[in-house]
Amino acid sequence: MSMQAALPIAMIPGNSIIHRINPLAKLVWVVGYVVLAFSTQNIIILYSMAAFALLLAPIAGVTRPLLKGALILVPVGSSLLALQIIAPAVERPWTIVDQLGPLSLYGDGVYYGFVLLGRIVASLLLALIMVMTTHPSDLFTSFAKLKVPYTLNFMLAMTLQLIPVFQREVGIIMSAQKSRGMKGSGFSAVLPSFVPVFVGAIERVQQLSISLESRGFGSNGIKTSYRQVKGRPSDWVIGIIGVLVVAYLSTISIMRGTWSLATEITFSPLFVLVTFLVAASLFACVVLAAVLFSFKK
Amino acid sequence: MAETIQGQGGLAIDVRQARYVYPSGNVVALGGVDLAVEHGEIIGIIGQNGSGKTTLTKLFNGLLKPTSGSVIINGIDTAKRTVQQMAPHVGYVFQNPNHQLFARTVQMELEFGPRNIGVPEDQIAERVAEAVEFFGLQEFVEEHPYRVSFPVRKLVGIASIVAMRPPIIIFDEPSTGQDHNTTHIINGLMRRLREQGTTVVCVSHDMPLLADVVERVIVMKSTEIIADASPREVFADKALMARTNLQAPQVTEIALETVVPLGGPVALTTEELAADIASRAGSKSKTSRSSATVR
Repeated sequence: MSMQAALPIAMIPGNSIIHRINPLAKLVWVVGYVVLAFSTQNIIILYSMAAFALLLAPIAGVTRPLLKGALILVPVGSSLLALQIIAPAVERPWTIVDQLGPLSLYGDGVYYGFVLLGRIVASLLLALIMVMTTHPSDLFTSFAKLKVPYTLNFMLAMTLQLIPVFQREVGIIMSAQKSRGMKGSGFSAVLPSFVPVFVGAIERVQQLSISLESRGFGSNGIKTSYRQVKGRPSDWVIGIIGVLVVAYLSTISIMRGTWSLATEITFSPLFVLVTFLVAASLFACVVLAAVLFSFKK
Repeated sequence: MAETIQGQGGLAIDVRQARYVYPSGNVVALGGVDLAVEHGEIIGIIGQNGSGKTTLTKLFNGLLKPTSGSVIINGIDTAKRTVQQMAPHVGYVFQNPNHQLFARTVQMELEFGPRNIGVPEDQIAERVAEAVEFFGLQEFVEEHPYRVSFPVRKLVGIASIVAMRPPIIIFDEPSTGQDHNTTHIINGLMRRLREQGTTVVCVSHDMPLLADVVERVIVMKSTEIIADASPREVFADKALMARTNLQAPQVTEIALETVVPLGGPVALTTEELAADIASRAGSKSKTSRSSATVR
């Protein structure tokens, strides 16, 4: 039980250009990325977005943690691709490009699978970079400037800060119950560990609210923040560029009916087969590893 | 499956050159510790925060496995066992009872441990009844563990471990946050457990408590054991106390300043010091005040 068990995805302190951009400008980009990703089916746009996000990582100095965080894409991406190839989420008729035993592999699925994957990859990478380069307090300070009510803002900030505390608490409680011979897995382990966690959480929140009130929480007047966030001209420029690019590309995409290149791009049967095999075996490995790991515990 | 309270011969705790390094990073939490504890001993472990006390006790029940060296508990190598497998041999009373209570009634709470380690149903009832008796919890048996007062909750937490009848019990800071009365009760419990043959290990910052109860004190500093002696010897060693930033019980300090230079005892309790002072005063005027001042 390591004490440093913080969130796997947390802010990486630094002073890069990306770190110094105003949190709201970054948020504009993240939201813009999601909007654009879901309004287009153009894989060139989608993967350019992902590539751009990857380009930012070394500038922000978060390449390693970013790739670590992006590992979650392996099970998601591999299952998505494998399933799309054998059961595309597009209208029939589907064109069979290859046959693998009882499974028919459809060409239409490959393109759409890559679109879905591209959407997730692009949005996730940029969102991760934002989380890794933004101090939570700065984000909430910026929210306050947008006139988000202080109490609501504070609740959000507190919730985030309590997560590591509860993680540590869960560790202690699991140790305590294991010391009483509790089998560490399965449904029988849920009640003995979660009752203390929830009771502890409620007690903690009660104490926190009392301690907040005793320090004058909710009193009138303007709230200031220890951390100052500046909105420099460059932040405005970055934010406005983000809005313009997203608005332009998504408008074109929607006008062209999602701008799908499915008819322009065709995949060779060999490519489809290899993609399916790689995706399916990757997913099988992940599942197998998860099963083995749970048995080992 | 059901373990008797007597050990299986040999040592209760046999730690050899145990080192523990936290897997994340290079933090050495324990650096080559040797410790041998006989069955039925009652020992205290003291030291500043971060000296390795908790890490050492967590090795005892397998919550942590030594990075190198060996930890043999009741004849069993913890390295090859899970915490659950160690549970019948080592009971671990955590500092905060809220971290382990979950059942609907105190009775069910006490049944949880023995059932986990596979005690037959009829014996569970017997053990729980005995633990209830031992801890004086009769009036709380049907209560919800979270509805009883904090001191009682602490006792329920300890009782839930005692009901498993482990031959070794570890107490982590038993007196923290407890009033004087509860501390006194816990004191008495540790002594009675020991009289029944249980090996008791008590990690604490509460020096008066240890001075009163334990017969052997292990002093830890910077991940190592630097002293292992009777409480009298340890608390009389001013240099050791200063080096470890620990403070002997006030009564011992007073004794060291007053009666010890005159040939008196290194008193560990008020009673002891009072008796010595009274006997010195008594040689002048023979009143029976001594017993009055003692109580």
